[in-house]
Amino acid sequence: MADTRTIEIEVLRYNPEKGGEPHFQSFQVPFSDDTSVLQGLQYIKDHLDGSLTFRWSCRMAICGSCGKMVNGVPELSCHKFLREYYPGKVRIEPLNHFPVLRDLVIDQTDFFEKKLPSIKPYVVPKEEKPVSAGTYVQTPQQFHKYYQYSQCINCLLCYAACPQYGLKPDFTGPAALALLHRYNADSRDRGWEERAELLNAEEGVWGCTLVGYCSEVCPKHVDPAHAINQNKVNSTMDYFGVRKLLMPKGGG
Amino acid sequence: MAQVRTYVRPMGGWWRRNPFFVRYMIREASCVFLAIYTVILLVGLFRLSQGESAYESWRAALVSPVSIVFHWVALLTVSYHAYTWWKVSPKTAPDIRVAGRPLPDLVIAAGGWLATIGASVLIYLLVRWL
Amino acid sequence: MQSIQTDVVVVGGGGAGLRAAIAVAESDPRLRVALVSKVVPMRSHTVAAEGGSAGVIRADDSLDHHFDDTVGGGDWLCDQDVVEYFVAHCAEEMTQLEHWGCPWSRKDDGQVNVRFFGGMKVQRTWFAADKTGFHMLHTLFQTSHKYPSIKRYDEFFCADLIVEDGRVQGVVAIDIASGEFYLFECKAAIICTGGAGRVYGQNTNAGIVTGDGMGIAFRHGVPLRDMEFVQYHPTALPGTGVLITEGCRGEGGILTNKDGYRYLQDYGLGPPDPWPRPKAMELGPRDRLSQAFWHEEQKGRTVATALGQAVWLDLRHLGAAKIHERLPLITEVAKTFVGVDPVVSPIPVRPAVHYTMGGIPCNAHTETPLKGLYAAGECSSVGIHGANRLGSNSLAEIVVFGKVAGARAAQYSKSAPAGRPGAFRKQAEAVESRLLGLLGRDKGERLATIRDEMHETMETGVGIFRKADGMQATCAKLARLRDRYRTGLKLDDRNRAFNTEWLSAIELGFTLEIAEAIAVSALNRKESRGAHTRLDEFKERDDASYLKHTLAYRTGDGPPRLEYSPVTITKSAPKTRVYGGEGKKVELT
Repeated sequence: MADTRTIEIEVLRYNPEKGGEPHFQSFQVPFSDDTSVLQGLQYIKDHLDGSLTFRWSCRMAICGSCGKMVNGVPELSCHKFLREYYPGKVRIEPLNHFPVLRDLVIDQTDFFEKKLPSIKPYVVPKEEKPVSAGTYVQTPQQFHKYYQYSQCINCLLCYAACPQYGLKPDFTGPAALALLHRYNADSRDRGWEERAELLNAEEGVWGCTLVGYCSEVCPKHVDPAHAINQNKVNSTMDYFGVRKLLMPKGGG
Repeated sequence: MAQVRTYVRPMGGWWRRNPFFVRYMIREASCVFLAIYTVILLVGLFRLSQGESAYESWRAALVSPVSIVFHWVALLTVSYHAYTWWKVSPKTAPDIRVAGRPLPDLVIAAGGWLATIGASVLIYLLVRWL
Repeated sequence: MQSIQTDVVVVGGGGAGLRAAIAVAESDPRLRVALVSKVVPMRSHTVAAEGGSAGVIRADDSLDHHFDDTVGGGDWLCDQDVVEYFVAHCAEEMTQLEHWGCPWSRKDDGQVNVRFFGGMKVQRTWFAADKTGFHMLHTLFQTSHKYPSIKRYDEFFCADLIVEDGRVQGVVAIDIASGEFYLFECKAAIICTGGAGRVYGQNTNAGIVTGDGMGIAFRHGVPLRDMEFVQYHPTALPGTGVLITEGCRGEGGILTNKDGYRYLQDYGLGPPDPWPRPKAMELGPRDRLSQAFWHEEQKGRTVATALGQAVWLDLRHLGAAKIHERLPLITEVAKTFVGVDPVVSPIPVRPAVHYTMGGIPCNAHTETPLKGLYAAGECSSVGIHGANRLGSNSLAEIVVFGKVAGARAAQYSKSAPAGRPGAFRKQAEAVESRLLGLLGRDKGERLATIRDEMHETMETGVGIFRKADGMQATCAKLARLRDRYRTGLKLDDRNRAFNTEWLSAIELGFTLEIAEAIAVSALNRKESRGAHTRLDEFKERDDASYLKHTLAYRTGDGPPRLEYSPVTITKSAPKTRVYGGEGKKVELT
């Protein structure tokens, strides 16, 4: 077996049935070169304290379940490795700017029940096209206008990174606005008008002050800061009634 | 569904907890210096309209020690402001692709930095020689 | 206990579940649909599927070709009438997804592109880079927001069914956040809970793939069919088991052993050139490729890595541009988990458990033997995969049969009589009592101990190659493990709110029973077919005795009782499976 060293993992504990203030608890965890932070947490749960609670699923950075604050930075715990932090300690907390539900688990209902549905995250076609009519034609150029923004795994690291969301929870936020742009920019969609009110609102793109940390932490390089801020130009043109003139398709 | 008592962590001191946010706050604070400098210039314009002696006393105030310190600090912070302005400007541009690849952010930012430096040099030379 | 009245409950929010819910909503918007999932839908394991989804669209392809490839790939254990329905509806479902925004990869002219996949004669695998499952799932999840009749219950753990008067009348679920129990009173339930790969230790699956739906149906007298057929995907990373898509080989990737030799030519899949060539060498079916690895390992020709034995998946000759465009996810995954850049180095890979061909038996209408219960996706055994599944048939399966299930359940629920509200409160409370009993034991074994022993025995006795004595030992061990589980686990976590240790214990109960169904079914299939290959006296396929489905019935605390059911043969009489052979080099698109 490869060398086995030990590292200190410090985790935030909170029990909603007891309430009160969260507190930190430390564990000594053996690890080797390829042990991820997530595997460290699983070791604690399997062998040291089965009550430590955290979300995880795919272990390959595609499902978006395992987001945590690791030494103050929002990360996917499945693709960060304990060796990167050794010999220092690893402090793990639930993602910032969300209420803590239990230990490292956040209450994510604001995103899934409010923010995401609010942006109308589906193709609004020009007209209903039957399946028998075949697929739309979409050239590689049209494809690349939106593809990057369709890579979002909804991991919520960008919300944990966004201080505006932390200060003003009504802000629609990076991932939702990036997805809004994804649909506006898709050649098959004509939904700009339907999404305009939200986009143009204070809670829409104008709630963003271009801190830019969201794009830094995004594990899939979606670049939500870009999605939001290029739409400030679109929003302004919309305000002056100019957007329709310059973009007759009605899309992004 | 059933209500669970969640814990909301306070936001106080949020910007001190991460070097990225500290740099962001400095960037934002640089606007203050830019604003003060603008007011000083506007005052100067006003004094100019009031006649030569008013204008000369404004100019004298400009070379006081406090003013000199302020202007050096303002030069640094406004330069930082300009640097960060161009650094984030690619985020406001639409998606640009060149030869099938996205145009790197650094190219747009560098274009802005070079333009700023160029314009600054030009204005300095104009002011110097007019 | 709170009761929720609804018409159709969909258990599981992955590709099949979402497609079924949308189908119910489209068939009749007045029907109430409750989508109950233990994770928020985009976390479902569909998200990790990579390579693509099959659907005939090329002029040089045909439904007959897809049919033949599938039935041959399944070693003739497929129900051919269902396969005929399946292949006829794949392209239509892929087109529907495209209309809903799925970013299929395109050719330069803007038409959808298709690629080769293992065991397929012609290119027919639609793909969205190498993240097809991710894109399909997000398309379905986002589109589901269009239908107000779909009510989602995210992070509700489905724990049991209520079956009265011989039909499903309710679903009991736990709201994970609070630990409170809910009774969904319904007319129909569609199980879309995915496979059971977590029965094994080394697997490509997420932690949630624990076979809950199979386990629940099993407890209500529904048999589990063809459980012995477990697919080992030939190319997973050593250590983690993270999946490296078959799409790599569809783009021309090759497999070499420690001597740099393309070893598959020694196992009936050659000659190695010309390459690429469909249904030959690295584009052979998954069972053959995984078996070849096992043989190479026995001969000492595999590579020793820090994380175990492996072979090399070499993509270097594809070039950086193609790799970055078509295979971005596996590039990221290879760099992150094994520190390898596929552009400059080959990737170490080995087989890992990936897919459960077997499951809840259902007909082509997704109707299970239990009235009011439907099943779609990996949890079901609808009859298209037989003894070995072809890659890209399962992403197609979830939408083709997800739609069928939704439409059928909708139709059924309109004619089924409504239950009296509150009629099943007692049964639901009995479920609650039983499951709460798992909490609060002061003595007992740790969950991880039993789980790890289950993994070990399954890998040893019911792995890629099987022998009677090994399977026997595993059956005995599993019976003992079930006993130890029944005696009681000691859980550290006594809380109700978000108690994942408790939920893992409930899942372990399901996985142990499914493991036993797999082992007992395997022991009793005295032949080798597809993914079930034996090294003892039953090395050959035996159509005379075993051209039939295995049905495992639960018998309470003891091992399952087996019965057999016939396989439906229509157009294709059983032949020898032939791969490799001479052929022309093909143009990759």
